[in-house]
Amino acid sequence: MTEEVRILAATCTGHYLFPEESWGRGLSWNPDAIVAQGTTSDCGPSYLGLDAPYRGYAGIVHGLRTIILSAKRKGIPFILSTGTPGGGNRQLERSLGWVDEIAKEANVRLRIAVIPGELDKEYLKQKIRTGSKIRRLIDTSGLPEYLSEEDIDKSERIAAQMGPEPIMEALDLDVDGVITGRALDVGLHMALPLKRGLDKALAAHMAKTIECGGLVLEPMIFDSVFAVLRKDHFLVRPTSPSAKCTTVSVVSHSFYERADPNREENPGGVLDISDAKYEQYDEQTVKVSGSRWIPRPYTLKVEGVRLAGYRTIAICGIRDERMISCIDSFLEDTRRYTEEKLRPLKPNEDYTLIFRAYGKNGVLGEAEPIKQTKSHELGLIIEGVATEEAVADDVCEAAEYFVLHMPYPGRLSTAANVACPYSPMEYGMGPVYVYHIWHLLELDDPCEPFKIEVREFPRGK
Amino acid sequence: MKLSELAKVLRSKNAGPFLTTLDILFDADEPYQRVRDSGVLTKEYIAKLYGIRPEEVLGIYSVDAARGIKITIPKPVGMACGDPEGRDLFGAQQHIPLLDIEVP
Repeated sequence: MTEEVRILAATCTGHYLFPEESWGRGLSWNPDAIVAQGTTSDCGPSYLGLDAPYRGYAGIVHGLRTIILSAKRKGIPFILSTGTPGGGNRQLERSLGWVDEIAKEANVRLRIAVIPGELDKEYLKQKIRTGSKIRRLIDTSGLPEYLSEEDIDKSERIAAQMGPEPIMEALDLDVDGVITGRALDVGLHMALPLKRGLDKALAAHMAKTIECGGLVLEPMIFDSVFAVLRKDHFLVRPTSPSAKCTTVSVVSHSFYERADPNREENPGGVLDISDAKYEQYDEQTVKVSGSRWIPRPYTLKVEGVRLAGYRTIAICGIRDERMISCIDSFLEDTRRYTEEKLRPLKPNEDYTLIFRAYGKNGVLGEAEPIKQTKSHELGLIIEGVATEEAVADDVCEAAEYFVLHMPYPGRLSTAANVACPYSPMEYGMGPVYVYHIWHLLELDDPCEPFKIEVREFPRGK
Repeated sequence: MKLSELAKVLRSKNAGPFLTTLDILFDADEPYQRVRDSGVLTKEYIAKLYGIRPEEVLGIYSVDAARGIKITIPKPVGMACGDPEGRDLFGAQQHIPLLDIEVP
């Protein structure tokens, strides 16, 4: 067993800064690996459904370049997930295209283990046929209790959050680094420590602490953090001189985006941090110990999306306070007229008409406690959703016409009711996807669904 | 006193696409213990505030080391992350009903 593993943790979602000073400090502390997460389901199912990127990508390229070239120069592995944000194979390949350019520009040769994160539908169906019960992770009517072959057929794309195991295997292939598609964020950070024989509970707790980089700092900054994992504790600190880890900042981070602050289900076990001990080690560093790992059967989280329809929207602004004062009844009237016009199509069966009145209750809807808006202007989004794109267009267009021209009590401005900022006025938002697979697949071999490919960059002609 | 006057951080976020988690963090023991021990944050009260049934509240946790309280609730049906009628992709504004809770 190694005495310690030192990790420089960044992210490569495209949003982090890599200030020279702090990045240089992090590298000077002799990390054993640079680790960065770059996939997420936070931004919703449509990214996975479309296998679409964020619109901007300069930040992702900058992150990949900084991490890969720094690691190569230090002679240490990089471990990162990309295919931002959904982790689909097409986005993974897009990132690998940038890696190729980076290798060419810098004139370096890279040997990289690539592990795609999409799951083959046939593989999953075969698991069901051979008796696997793939159960939902959350009890909600939005998810089937157990996955069926039909659910899999309905899915546009299925990805899995691979654990540390395929990455551990990939690190053995004499590579400069590992690049995965969709992966469990903590798994990326756990892979090297587990390979070196360090404690699983502490490795998972360290991973959980550093997976979002600077979010664990006080003040929170968009920068990297550094962790040292030893036999019976780990240390975590910022690379920046202008932030610190405090016991409170580190413990509070265990709250972040987690249902339970004490226990976290992971592939193959539950991380229990209810008795963990946090000490201020020096001004910027916190020492953590006492985490526990409760073994469970190995499960892989599977994420899948299906097409729910198409969306068309129009955006407009209302400034006339006479109209704002009767906005509820105005929108009810508009809805009635629109439904009348669209007959024989049936509302809530053939289409959904949605009004979002920002400045009134656009954010909280019915739960908004303030019933009478005090705003002097409202932003209105008019939205049609339907199985057929042409119907979504019709819904939006019809409702928008009535919003523009329908009378209301006390109206003075009989020419038109609202200000439209854009021409064209309607925007086709394209397909809308929803999560319908958020399930756990039990596995005897955690690597079984994943294929590791060793690729060389720059690519040959 | 209102909860928003006692807390240092009062935030909401998704914990996966189907759950909303509410974090109430404090910068001193006194306000933390005051809220923790007030008996105000019960499953019944949270359920009423968010229009769900008490048994649907997944958990209310106090973590002394963090001076923090966490409440996890399901998102309403049709309001999961990315659902067509959803209003809050990240669940980032669902803390609002907590702000004005009166703490004795």
